Order: sequence, then C-alpha cells, then structure tokens
Amino acid sequence: MGKLTIWIVFAVVLLVLPQIFDSVLSLSIFTQMTIAIVFALSYNMLLGQGGMLSFGHAVYFGLGGFLAVHAMMMIEFETLSFSITLIPLVGGVFGLLAALFIGSFSTHKAGTVFAMISLGIGELVAASSLILVSFFGGEAGVSGDRTYGPPFFGIDFAQDDHVYYLAAAWMFFAVLCMYLFTQTPAGRMANAVRDNPERAEFMGYSARRVRFISFAMAGFFAGIAGGIFAVNYEILTEENLNAATSGRVLLMAYIGGLGFFIGPIVGAVVLTLINSLLSNYTDLWMLYLGILFLLTVMFLPRGLTGLLMMHRVAWQLGRMRLLLLPYTLTAIPGAVFILGMIAMIEMSHAEDAEFVYLGLALAPAGYGSWALLLGVTAVAFFVLRRTLPRLREAWSQANTLPRQPRHEDGHP
Amino acid sequence: MSLLQLQNVCKSFGPTQIIRDVSLNIEQGEKHAIIGPNGAGKSTLFHLISGRYKVSSGGILFKGAPIHNLEPFQITRRGLARSFQVTNIFPLLSVFENIRCALLWSMGYKYSFWHFLSRQTALNERAEALLEEIGLFERRNIPAGELAYAEQRALELGIAIASGAEMILLDEPVAGMSHSEAKNAVALIRKVTEGRTLVMVEHDMNIVFDVADRITVLVYGEVIASDVPEKIRGNPRVQEAYLGETPHA
Repeated sequence: MGKLTIWIVFAVVLLVLPQIFDSVLSLSIFTQMTIAIVFALSYNMLLGQGGMLSFGHAVYFGLGGFLAVHAMMMIEFETLSFSITLIPLVGGVFGLLAALFIGSFSTHKAGTVFAMISLGIGELVAASSLILVSFFGGEAGVSGDRTYGPPFFGIDFAQDDHVYYLAAAWMFFAVLCMYLFTQTPAGRMANAVRDNPERAEFMGYSARRVRFISFAMAGFFAGIAGGIFAVNYEILTEENLNAATSGRVLLMAYIGGLGFFIGPIVGAVVLTLINSLLSNYTDLWMLYLGILFLLTVMFLPRGLTGLLMMHRVAWQLGRMRLLLLPYTLTAIPGAVFILGMIAMIEMSHAEDAEFVYLGLALAPAGYGSWALLLGVTAVAFFVLRRTLPRLREAWSQANTLPRQPRHEDGHP
Repeated sequence: MSLLQLQNVCKSFGPTQIIRDVSLNIEQGEKHAIIGPNGAGKSTLFHLISGRYKVSSGGILFKGAPIHNLEPFQITRRGLARSFQVTNIFPLLSVFENIRCALLWSMGYKYSFWHFLSRQTALNERAEALLEEIGLFERRNIPAGELAYAEQRALELGIAIASGAEMILLDEPVAGMSHSEAKNAVALIRKVTEGRTLVMVEHDMNIVFDVADRITVLVYGEVIASDVPEKIRGNPRVQEAYLGETPHA
C-alpha cells in the first residue's frame, strides 16, 4: 500500500505545484520538466534497465514530435478532427513505429555494436531532416497551432496552465506505464539480459527479442515526450532530433542515476532547472553541466539518487544525526571552495572592467582580485581536506550494523 | 528411441579438431557421466548439445528431432536445460529473481508485458518452493552476486532445473567445492534430478561412479568407451588412457 500512497502524492504534487509557484516562468519550467521526465525515463528503459547505450534516442523523440506537429496542422486544416489532448499519443505511435523498424536490426547485439548503430542512425536522421524540407521544414522546422480541433470540455489550450495540466496528465500516465513495465516478465527479463544475455538464452529467452521489446517501448514513450513537446512549443526543428538532444537525455539519466526507477526523474528535474534557471545567470552554464556530469561519472556512479540512497542504512539505524555536524563542517569550506572556483571561472570570462559577484566588486584586470580569490579558494580547499577524516569516521560509525548476521531486514 | 542421439558429431576450430566423430545415445531416465582428461572436449560437447556452438558436421537429435541448427533458447524450450562450469547467474538480481526468471518461459509467460509478476501466485509459490529445495530460501532477497561460492553453485543448479526440463546437462557441478560441500551438492543433484535424464561432466571419480548409471570416456575428442560403471572400471583402454592417471579411481 506504500506504493499506492507514493503515486497519490505524486499526482497531488503535480496538481498543486502550479498553484504554489504560479509565475509564467515556473509554469513553463514545470511543463519542460514533464517532457524531460518522460524522455529521460524512456531512455533509461534502454540504458539502465536494458543495458543498451544509445547515442540516438532523440530520433524517436523528434520523429514523434514532428508527426505530432503534422497532425496538429491536419487538425488545423480540418483534414483530421480529433482533440488536441490526443496529440502526445500520435507522437507515441510514430515513435513506436520508428523504433520497431530501427530496432529490428539495431538490437541484434548490445554493447559497442548497438551504441555505434544508434550513433549512426541518429546522425542519419538528423542530416536527412535538413534535406527533406517538405516534411521537416529545413532549418526553420515545422510549426502548428494547438488551439484548433474540438475543445476538450470547453478548454482550447490557449492558456499555458491548461497545457501544463495536459502535459502533467500524460506524464503521469507515461511514468505509471513505464513503472508497471518494470514489474512484468518482459521488463524483468530486460534486467536479466542486461546482466547476462547468455544465461537468459539458456532459460528460453531470445536476448535479441527481449532487447527489441524494451527498445520499442522506449521509442513509444520517447515519442509521447516528443508529442507533449509539440503541444507545448507548437514547433519542432532539427535540434529536437540531433545528437545534442540525444546527449542531453543521456546526461539526465546518468546524473539522476541509472540504477533506480526515479533516477532519471531526478536527473530530468535537476537538468531542467540548470537549463532554464542557471542560464539566466551565466553564459557558462553548459560548462558547469559538463563538470557536474564528469563529477557524477567519477564519484557518483549511481548518480544523485544513489547519493541519497547511500544514506538508507544510516537512516534505518536512526543515526542520521551522527552525520549532521560532520556534513555541516565539510559543507561550509566546500561551498566556499566551489564559489571561489566559480568566481575565478566567471571572472576570466568577464568582459567588463568591473565584475560584481555575490555583492563583491571584483576587478578582472587587476592582480588584487585574483590574489584574493585564489587565496580564499586555496584556504577553503585546505580546510575542506582537514574536515574529511572526521566525516569518514562519522560515516563508518553511522553505517556499522549492530552485531548480528547480515541481511536480516528481509528487504531486497 | 533414445532421448538424445549424437550422430557422427565433429567440431573444429580452424584446423584444430576438438570433437572427432562422436556418436552417442542417451536414454530416457538415465544418469550419464562424461569423463576424460583435461582438454578432451567434454565442455565443447556440452556446448554443441546446448547450442552455444554449432557442429561442424554430424547431427544431434533430441526426442527424435534435430536440434543442432537451433539457437540455445529454442533448445531450452524443447526441454533440454544446462548448467555451467563457471558460475553463470544474474549477479545484480536477487536470488529470488534469478529463480523466478528461470521459471518464466516454462510457465508460459513468454515476453508478456501485461502480467504483473507480484500477482502471479503460482509462479511466486513455485519459485519459493524451488528456493527451499536448493536450500537458498533464507537468502532469497540478497543479490545473487553476494552468495558464497557453494551457494552460487546451488543457484546455478536451481536455474538449470527450474524450467522442468526432461534432460539436464551439468558441467562440473561440484568443481572447486570442499569435500563436505561436494557431498551436499551430490545429494542435492540426486534429489532435484529425480525422474529426469541427467548428463554430467565431472572430474571427481568418486562422484561419477556414485551417481552415474552409464559412463562415456572421451579422450582427444573421441569416445573410447561408453558403458556401465563396472565395465568402465575394468576396461583396459580406459585404464591406460585415463584412469591410470588417477590411482584413487
């Protein structure tokens, strides 16, 4: 029953969020998040659950999105007549069809072969999208209008909050379906094939068929994400199916954590925030995103969610308070260190003679500011290192099980 | 008709002949051991039967139908299951999930994405019963990769028998075990292969002569003898080629 509660809370949060944060910006960010969440979770069906590293997942997002825009245009010109609320499904169906076709040969093997084919297909589709102008609209892309078609209980989706609720409803549906998929024989065998394809074959399963099913599902949900995108932005361009978009979804899933169902959700939320908020403050936000990705790969192989989950044992033993003081002691010099590094990066990028950072007027041209920042950062780094042994000790204390046989709790 | 028939099976890797013209019949219900010195091709023979390798020439018939051109999953579906010499499990999945996955195909779930595993009472009960049988019930919730070696071998055996296959191939099921672990493992093998046909490759002669109804001796890819244990013991060619090297046999 705990699971049901989580889903209800999830639905309530989706309903209430735009009431609490009701600015135009936050609404736009929430809608972007719903798209990113569906897209990142669909990607994780490949990488996290199926062991298939794809560099071309944007193909299914983009193709679904383009078809969705074309469907919107058909509604506008009254070739078709159905509610705009079904547009994401159009995207999903075409994402599925594309994945059925491409997956029929790309899922023969996992590993490097699969990764290379996905890269090739991604480049191929992105390149042809610029050439096939009649369908993809060239550099300008194709655009539609979501306000046509039969209104949905009187709603014509001219307002942004209506679009948000439509996107959130589709997202909830897609997340639920993707979660339920992990609980089925095909979903579980995807994990088995990821871990040991050979043994799966000796249990009666064709590893290729298992991968193909996951691949088709991932294409379907990526297409749904593309369809929501089409409704929200009313335009699709080559950018939506090229390698940069494929790379971004990989980053979302990885930074969030591949090994957990909610990992990609966390990643999608964090990256959307970085993308839409941090970019207001600095031109260099992509650099910080890259650094975050590198640090995740190097130090948090299980992603941000893995970092949270690491604390499960301490939490269950009721020892979180042991960590509170050491964490605070490490966080203070850590924050100073990070802010110092950022200040230096930003200052080297600044063009004006004066550069204001956290209320501090710095002079990029003079030596004084540099010396100050360098000094503060170096001291912070030194202090940070001094706090680490204490944190380590507290960590091992908080995580030592009382003396009894291991694995008594009975939780998987 | 024999359950499994090998007809003039040959296997070469490049110019090297590993299996030379092996013909062998294994009857329903038989407990059959394949022995031979290192490099005799015992494991290769298993890989040929189970479809991991393709034969260079010759044929393999299971229940009268040729299987030598089939993929491993197709052979498994026909009721021929195997275990591996090197433990071959799903290390990240729980012990329970390992067994449950092994049951899925034979219980007809195929590639279903419309059944929820937690609701499949018969499936889950059978997985638990099997875990009891192989003595891993208490350990069912931990990742299989964290099991002790002998436990992993028991799980390996459990996965092989889960499908309810009529014929089980076991590749060195007790290799690397201590004496007492091996004893327990043999008792377990006897229990779980009751009423089924068993073919095993094994180095430990005590176990071979203890378990097997019939023994085939493979030397340099050729069958030099295939008979009941007493006759094998007395066979001069076998003694010369193989048993002579192991005085305790």
